[in-house]
Amino acid sequence: MVGLIISTLHRTIMAGTSLLLGTTGEILTERSGILNLGVEGMMNLGAVAGFMVTYRTGNLLWGVFAALLAGGAAAALHGFITVYVKANQTVSGLALSMLGVGLAGVLGKPFIGHQLPVRLEQIEIPLLGQIPVLGELLFHQDPLFYGGIVLAFASWFFLRYTRTGIRIRSVGENPRASESQGIPVEKFRFLCTVGGGAFAGLAGAHVVLSYSTSWTEGIVAGRGWIVVGLTIFSLWNPLRGMIGAFLFGGIFVTQYVLQPLGVPPNLLAMLPYGATLVVLLLDGLRKDQRSLHAPAALGEPYSR
Amino acid sequence: MKKIGSVMIALIIVGLLLGTVLSCSGKKEAPAKAAEKVEQPAKKLKAGFIYIGPVGDYGWSNAHDVGRKFAQSKLPWLETVIVESVPEGDAIRIIDRLVNEEKCDVIFTTSFGYMDDTVKAAEKYKNTLFFHCSGFKRAPNLGTYFAELYQMYYLNGLMAGALTQSNKVGYVGAFPISEVIRHIDAYALGVKEANPKAKVEVRWIFSWYDPAKAKEAAQSLVAAGADALAFTEDSPSVIEVGQEHTKKGKKVYTFSHYSPMQKFGEDSVVSGQLVDWGPMYVKILTDVYNGQKDFSSYDLWWLAADNAALLGGEIGQPINPKFVDLLKSKKIKSADLGEMNAYDYVMKRYEQIKTNQFEPFTGPIKDQKGVERIPAGKKADPAHLLSMEYFVENVVGEIPRK
Repeated sequence: MVGLIISTLHRTIMAGTSLLLGTTGEILTERSGILNLGVEGMMNLGAVAGFMVTYRTGNLLWGVFAALLAGGAAAALHGFITVYVKANQTVSGLALSMLGVGLAGVLGKPFIGHQLPVRLEQIEIPLLGQIPVLGELLFHQDPLFYGGIVLAFASWFFLRYTRTGIRIRSVGENPRASESQGIPVEKFRFLCTVGGGAFAGLAGAHVVLSYSTSWTEGIVAGRGWIVVGLTIFSLWNPLRGMIGAFLFGGIFVTQYVLQPLGVPPNLLAMLPYGATLVVLLLDGLRKDQRSLHAPAALGEPYSR
Repeated sequence: MKKIGSVMIALIIVGLLLGTVLSCSGKKEAPAKAAEKVEQPAKKLKAGFIYIGPVGDYGWSNAHDVGRKFAQSKLPWLETVIVESVPEGDAIRIIDRLVNEEKCDVIFTTSFGYMDDTVKAAEKYKNTLFFHCSGFKRAPNLGTYFAELYQMYYLNGLMAGALTQSNKVGYVGAFPISEVIRHIDAYALGVKEANPKAKVEVRWIFSWYDPAKAKEAAQSLVAAGADALAFTEDSPSVIEVGQEHTKKGKKVYTFSHYSPMQKFGEDSVVSGQLVDWGPMYVKILTDVYNGQKDFSSYDLWWLAADNAALLGGEIGQPINPKFVDLLKSKKIKSADLGEMNAYDYVMKRYEQIKTNQFEPFTGPIKDQKGVERIPAGKKADPAHLLSMEYFVENVVGEIPRK
């Protein structure tokens, strides 16, 4: 029984890592006032780029780098369309999603049925890895998990306490006022979108370089959409996003553990979305609305 | 600036539409080069294939496409066109297109869910021939065909039963429909024959193709103690799980499904089931070419004896050489074959199945409640196999209600 619980928790962390990376990126993007619904597409592109490059070069670092680049490039397209051309963010994001999934499918065709020669192995952190149970859970993971945790904390600190972070948030809340303070709104928004896309690419890389080691079409399997939900669930706070990512990862993993007990898997698969609705509802009922709402200018194109 | 915005949106929409149209128009492949060497035949035949998944799923649709390419290479007069990832509700639109614009003479619809649309299309287009895979409705211009794998699952079950240490064997199932239930039952019968103490546990993922779900389902089976896994899902995810655990020192044996997946888990894949649609497509297309007109009783149901179903996780390797010695060290006993080492036993049964001398579903077979479903000495007939809705006695858990 203890073994089952530990292995379930371990799987939870594996399944939650890509959600964590994607959510951190999307929070960064949305904090600057840009809604990017293209996470699914960017993750797919990151995954396929990461797989192709790793397969060709046998070098994981290059693969991860390619995934970052692919995610960032896809987001730059969205950024250009929404920030500079000021098109509708919802439409552009949805288009990016479909474009990304389709393009990744086409690019990945020749790589189907091939096994990756290397993978992101789980690394044991010295000393910490020796702690019973906890060590096995938290300090026997792949590098992207450690990276994801560090990045989530860093993003939280960055957005909350640094000058640039506060500027990013102000751009997302009130671009006009920010501009009058001399903040280059368009540049900020564009860079945050590209940065968020790079995170999504990294999330895609985790799917094919660590979670799985083969490419099949549709391997991202809707994680990008869960990320979009998680961003709302987290109320745009990277630390809550971290909790949410592993909670959602846990729900995904547990459905099969609970299945023999007669719990219908469809019900559990629905839970992440149900949880998002509940959080929104609870949040709406709170008295203190100031610190917890969505960035006020989210989704609105800004022009002088 | 507003104007440029709307122009961009329009561009994106146009681009998307274009993409959809392009992906629907499929990839035309010219007839095989061989045709030019042979003298130009007078008559040509154009066949359209409709797939449920992407050709890149490395499972069902992939196997059909390999079959199509085989037929293409064998039949110089054949031209083919494919449309992939067609949702089940959308088949009729694609069939219309294949008939009216692509001018196909023959159309293959390769998913059970296309059945009613195919029947309707056959009524509408009397001059086009239709072949529906895995269905049971026929018409003068509509035939059916299927390659059935349950015998291979039975052989896989023999090996799983011989190898399991925990006496717990797992199965990741797609949907609780009779085809998958039949496969689970056949697998369980094999397990029971090799190891009467072993039980089969099942997890359902409610999808034909979802690598992540299959992976977690397999992980949960391993966590619950299962050390031999078979599955119905169109990706190598379950194999990867087996390989991962085996590499870390916990032996988990897996059985590849549909396409050759052994390379995804050299240390874990013992064997598997392979399908060869090629000869079947050649047979059907040749019958059409030779002028057969009435297909109302045309129903190909090919098994191991027809070389449509093969044992193994790699073409030409019924059992992964890495596991031959291990299997030779295990024993299986039965009334008709006596005691033999597991390797020889499986090969003997394979031989018998290929020559139609052995049927896994031979009574007495009881379901989970102990009710006798097939009486002693009797073999299950195709109708019984096609409508199987019960688990045999050594399967744990209930079949979910639909």
